[in-house]
Amino acid sequence: MFRRAAVAGVGESDYYARGTSPYSATQLAAIAIRRAVEDAGLELRQIDGLVSYLEPLVVPPKLAALLGLDHLDFSAQTWGWGGNGVASAVAIGDAAVTASYAKHIVVYRALRQAEKERFGRSDLVPRAHGDYAFTAPYGMVTAAHVGAMQTRRFMHEHGVSQEALAEIALASYAHAQHNPRALKRGHPLTRRMYHESRWIAEPFHVYDCCQESDGAAAIVVTTLERARDLRKPPVPILAASQGLGYRDGVGAFNERHFPTAHYRRVGELLWQRAGAKPGDVDVAQFYENFTGCVLMAITELGFCAPDELERFVSEGNLQWPNGDLPLNTSGGNLAEAYIHGFENVNEAVRQVRGESTCQVDQVELSLSVSAPGYAPGSAVLFCRG
Amino acid sequence: MPDRWTLPALDARNRAFFTSGRLVLQKCASCGVVQHPPEEMCHACHSMDFETRECRGRGTVYSFIVAHHAANPALRERVPYAVILVSLDEMPEVRIVGNLLDVSPDRVWIGMPVRTVWERIEESGETLQLPQWKALEEDEHE
Repeated sequence: MFRRAAVAGVGESDYYARGTSPYSATQLAAIAIRRAVEDAGLELRQIDGLVSYLEPLVVPPKLAALLGLDHLDFSAQTWGWGGNGVASAVAIGDAAVTASYAKHIVVYRALRQAEKERFGRSDLVPRAHGDYAFTAPYGMVTAAHVGAMQTRRFMHEHGVSQEALAEIALASYAHAQHNPRALKRGHPLTRRMYHESRWIAEPFHVYDCCQESDGAAAIVVTTLERARDLRKPPVPILAASQGLGYRDGVGAFNERHFPTAHYRRVGELLWQRAGAKPGDVDVAQFYENFTGCVLMAITELGFCAPDELERFVSEGNLQWPNGDLPLNTSGGNLAEAYIHGFENVNEAVRQVRGESTCQVDQVELSLSVSAPGYAPGSAVLFCRG
Repeated sequence: MPDRWTLPALDARNRAFFTSGRLVLQKCASCGVVQHPPEEMCHACHSMDFETRECRGRGTVYSFIVAHHAANPALRERVPYAVILVSLDEMPEVRIVGNLLDVSPDRVWIGMPVRTVWERIEESGETLQLPQWKALEEDEHE
């Protein structure tokens, strides 16, 4: 932890619209992992650790057998509902190589969303249990509904307009136009298209909601010392954090500080560990489940006060090459592909390496933030080697 | 919601809330703390013994959504529909999810005063009474 581990390789499968991948989730994971390992200049058999988050299908014992790993010395995944664990999984890889539980850990996520397993829909269940019993009977059944409930109140409290939500979508789509991997390349978004698009759940238009995609992404984490001998310049993990405030795990919108993206504690820990502040960040990838939740995370991490948000995100400030905080420079979940946010980790690493298709000049600090709106949140800050 | 829709699975902790026809919240029998949704243990003193606290069903809309996309085929005939989050007048820190009946989704606003009504559902020999909400009329104010 704290600049002792580094990312040595990044890789991904080709990305596909939901349900169109010719490959299974396991096959997609294998493709992404092979590419990340090759990028690092390692042999596949040298991988001795596997880490993920909310990964129901592609489990390490099976994956290690399929990949032909000599031995698997470490495997883990983080707790949480899903996309909020992206950076936390990277942190586990960091901690494990730093503590010598393994030498070369692959952190990965693979998605192939069959009709039955789509995140964007909800299967009809006759009975709802636990906290869900207090929301589902009233038609509150998807992540979009949850994000919309949080966002509506946030907009009300801080005078945030629909234009601010649009800015997130416009930035992601603008950046995707430069990225050959992006599924929305060739489909530019205008402000007018945004406002005229159909509602999913007010205040979310369809462009406020992430895509559903098939694909996999992976990185190789090792110690900074080992990474220096590998093929690509190492990208040190300066700091990572996972955070949950007092009773933030309470259900049905009864957190003490509702609405929250669950990023206040994440920010406190991250900036303290990194010895940096939000204004030092050169480029940021924010997991867009929904644009409104990204806005909440931006303020909770301290990039601006909620009442300044409208101005902070406007006038192209989030857009490469001229904005002060280029955001989601690969297109992110909205416009590159929805690989449960792991494509944002790859992009954050590429920004430090100088390999982005929207490359920010002289990147010293590159941030990747996991899903907002679900507790606990997590974030990871990469730095120049 | 549609006729064949998701209902609460009743358990010892939520049975009173969903069947009594009164707005009753989980209250710790030891220290008196009220928590919603109900939990398996009091978060303040860790007692596992509970009673209920009855509330007058008055509140204000704290947040809301208007769902347009049918996330499930069963919802196709129901969209667009509003889901509201109500902050109780007696205990504003307690928020309850529900639907606002007899009000068009485009007429919902944050701060709107509402009162509880009960939606009776007979299902498998059980009678559920789901708390729902109606706009508080002028002459209902006190």
